[in-house]
Amino acid sequence: MILAKLALGFASTMIFATVYTFREGVIRVDVDEHRDGGSHVHLWAPAAVVPMAMHFVPKEHFREAALHANEFLPVVQALSSELRKYPDSTFVEVQDGHDHVRVSTVGTKIQIDVVNPEENVHVTVPLRTINDVAEQIAASTPGV
Amino acid sequence: MQARLIRSIGPALLSVTALLASPAGIIAQDKTANVTVSSSSSDRWLHVRVTSSEDRTETVRVNVPLEMAEKVLPAINKDRLHNGKVRFDEHDMNCVDVKALLDAVRTSKDGEYVTVQGTDADVRVAKQGGYMFVHVTEKNSYSKNGKTTEKSKVEVKVPMKVVDALFSAGKDELDLVAALHALSAHGDTELVSVKSEDNTVRIWLDSKNISD
Repeated sequence: MILAKLALGFASTMIFATVYTFREGVIRVDVDEHRDGGSHVHLWAPAAVVPMAMHFVPKEHFREAALHANEFLPVVQALSSELRKYPDSTFVEVQDGHDHVRVSTVGTKIQIDVVNPEENVHVTVPLRTINDVAEQIAASTPGV
Repeated sequence: MQARLIRSIGPALLSVTALLASPAGIIAQDKTANVTVSSSSSDRWLHVRVTSSEDRTETVRVNVPLEMAEKVLPAINKDRLHNGKVRFDEHDMNCVDVKALLDAVRTSKDGEYVTVQGTDADVRVAKQGGYMFVHVTEKNSYSKNGKTTEKSKVEVKVPMKVVDALFSAGKDELDLVAALHALSAHGDTELVSVKSEDNTVRIWLDSKNISD
């Protein structure tokens, strides 16, 4: 009986963690270099981890980042919250011969695709995560 | 025995049920997002398309929702751009009082104000049906058969209300946010068209979130 309770508790915790993770979204980075021995990076990370992990970053690093990014943070915050209103839209598309760059939204995520004969790079980040990170950095600005 | 079993695993079952119900919440959120899609499709979008004349595979497409631009612009504070307004001085305008000039155009009747036909370029500035038109055609000095050919052609069509809004700020400021707001009230419009030997540029306004 105790084992059944433990198993149930473990299962419910796992389900809770899974649901929370996917509710927050996933950060996806795919890099494929086409040259011989080129690297292939495929990273899937739960976006929920980022704001949590930022709590463990020493404050002085945040202050430094805030000082450097101070003038851009309001733009990032405004953009990330506004872009969420326009899911599945392409904002910038550049085609230069075989090079192709696209900045778009897929649902409530921003997706950046760079495709050229040398490499393919695809980055997908939930806009909410970008907003949370910008907010946390802005909050660390000296004098705020 | 059964009652004891239910009593012991009851709370756990309840929590699992609640958690399993959470994905439904996610789906509900997605549905809300879809509603946003349909409502945002009626928004006004500003499109910029640059196509290389030499290589048709070189293109730049930018699509910006006007509402988003209105919200984001005030957040940019860099150089001369502050709170959605661009500061300029008389020196930039070659000591021309642009406000006075626009006042004169606004209060005048429809018609052609400037028509210049030169060897290098033709210029036409006109006001018609609530729009201000600026057409500049730059010519090549020499051509094989002795006739001048078009080097570049610039056509700008701006609603007068947008021009008014643009100059509605202080004396030496251009209010970009006010101009964008005024622009959003207009229907589908081709604003700028540039055809040169190198590139073709088109800036237009419509309600589609993709450029054609």
